[in-house]
Amino acid sequence: MIQSTRSGIAGLDELIGGGFPNNTITLVYGPPKTGKSIFCYQFLHQAITDDEYCLYIMTDYNLPQLEETMMYFKWFIHDYFTKKQLYVMDIASGSIGSVQKETASFKISSPQNPTEIISEIIEELQSIFQKTHTFRSILDSATTLFAYNSPILMIRVLKSYTMRIKLAGSTGIITYTEGVVDSQIETMLKATVDNIVHMDGKKITVEAMMGCDHISANYKITDEGIIII
Amino acid sequence: MDMKKTYIPRLDDILKGGTPPGTSVLFNAIPGMLCDIFGYQIIAQRIRNNKEIGFIYTNTRTPAEISRVFDKYGWDIMTPLQSGQLFFVDSISPMMGVPPIGKYCIDDFNKSKDTVLCAINDIAGGTAVIENVATLIDSIGANNTMELIKTWNEAANKHDVNMIYIFTRWDYEDRMIEQLIDLFNCEIELFGIEERVMYRQVYVVVKSSWSTISRTKTFFELVMPGGVKVFIPKLLVTGPYNAGKTAFVHAISQDAVSVERQAYELFPTTVGLDIGHVDYKGFSADIFGTPGQERFDLLLEPLAREAIGAFIVIDSTQPNTFARAKEMINMCRAEVIPKIIVANKQDLSGAMRPEEIKKRMALWEDVHIVPVSVKKNKGINQTLNALFDLIYRV
Repeated sequence: MIQSTRSGIAGLDELIGGGFPNNTITLVYGPPKTGKSIFCYQFLHQAITDDEYCLYIMTDYNLPQLEETMMYFKWFIHDYFTKKQLYVMDIASGSIGSVQKETASFKISSPQNPTEIISEIIEELQSIFQKTHTFRSILDSATTLFAYNSPILMIRVLKSYTMRIKLAGSTGIITYTEGVVDSQIETMLKATVDNIVHMDGKKITVEAMMGCDHISANYKITDEGIIII
Repeated sequence: MDMKKTYIPRLDDILKGGTPPGTSVLFNAIPGMLCDIFGYQIIAQRIRNNKEIGFIYTNTRTPAEISRVFDKYGWDIMTPLQSGQLFFVDSISPMMGVPPIGKYCIDDFNKSKDTVLCAINDIAGGTAVIENVATLIDSIGANNTMELIKTWNEAANKHDVNMIYIFTRWDYEDRMIEQLIDLFNCEIELFGIEERVMYRQVYVVVKSSWSTISRTKTFFELVMPGGVKVFIPKLLVTGPYNAGKTAFVHAISQDAVSVERQAYELFPTTVGLDIGHVDYKGFSADIFGTPGQERFDLLLEPLAREAIGAFIVIDSTQPNTFARAKEMINMCRAEVIPKIIVANKQDLSGAMRPEEIKKRMALWEDVHIVPVSVKKNKGINQTLNALFDLIYRV
């Protein structure tokens, strides 16, 4: 049996055989406001429940904002971060000169500087790898990175990123807002990941995943997060 | 010839004094290296020490960010910016929607050529840092980028300007990379030493039109403040008690020294350190052998932190010590650094074969085990080859 990592979405894991296959990367994509970031929060919350490490790369909000949003769902990450099980890469505050101090588990980078982003991710991977060889990773979202960089360059960066985190043992998700780049780039993006999940606001579809292609189910977003109905 | 120092440790020795005026240098880095720091360090030190003039063309960091980076590394940027000794060619702020800073600003990559030419004209005899070539390639195309670089290098040559290009080598086609490299007088590769994660950084001069080069690999780290710092790599030799570590250190190194005394154990054993040095196929490293007894475990961690590779020596006839060997591997972080299991004492009857040892120790498939008899001087070079192959695979 393939070892899997629970997504944390009630009802989804049952449909996909327990969760995402370990050491694979899943693209979660769809139109704006369909719950892709909530998917990430839930995936992170499951990491806490399962006592796993997580590398969280955020491009549209900073750590206090993440903490606040998750609190709305009654998911608490403060202790998890303090215990240094949560590694954060803040790409939202990078270019404005954040006053927050960088540590082994908290790095800041700028969205338009992929060389620095990958370099700092590797630094965090070095610390994580000394503690565990199985951890989660979240990149929310690739959309912002596409906005700041040449799309073809960004595809190269994402290839490098997925290669790095998979080598280090991660099971991860990357979010992306459908239609931001042209279809050719979207096709290349899909080719850099292992699994593809589409969310359209009503229906969640597993478009590609070993053993469970084209499974779909209806979902809704409640104050307990995404729930399969 | 009048050489301009790079102020990168060891690089000026390798390049026989530095870079001649009017030449171009490419820093060709794999993703994950902060290659721009090399460019910043060169220009910052030349400005400070030689009263040189220069500019930084940037399409990745905004000038404000670059200023913060200079601050972190302890290089003064405000004074030369204010005096006009240094200026920016800002090709990023307009794309970011922030006010540009600098003498020149580029709001369209297609205008890069003329703007940078103007900037080169302004700094005769000075230094220009261009970063990042990758962004140019993926914005205006490889051919256009190479056209630009050719034009810039010709102008720089005429005005005795030293061009320092920073390039992050994402997954471009090899043929394109070859053509690109052809455009420069000198190429310096930056890459990582990896074992599932990159944990050490190396630079190597692979091409220089003004000096013969030896392709020496220089290990470095980026230190704040300070910048590029080199260090002598260390190889760790560890393993359970009485596995033959001291003999192994002496076998692989010239003039090894052992700090030992007759301990209370049955055999003469190392209670200090075995220290040696190896020069092998252009690679130079210090060797540290640690004692195997548990009471010396506290020595392992600091040594392992500095090490770039490890030999785990085991006695192939003593499977009851394998658990201890595995414990030492974990303790010395050797799972992260390349390592070779030296299956010693193969000359003795009852010695287990590598496959058998791998099974008994429940090791990863890709862990390398080399059968060795230090006593009979068999397999020693194979262990060095195997470890250096691991260290330098890119």
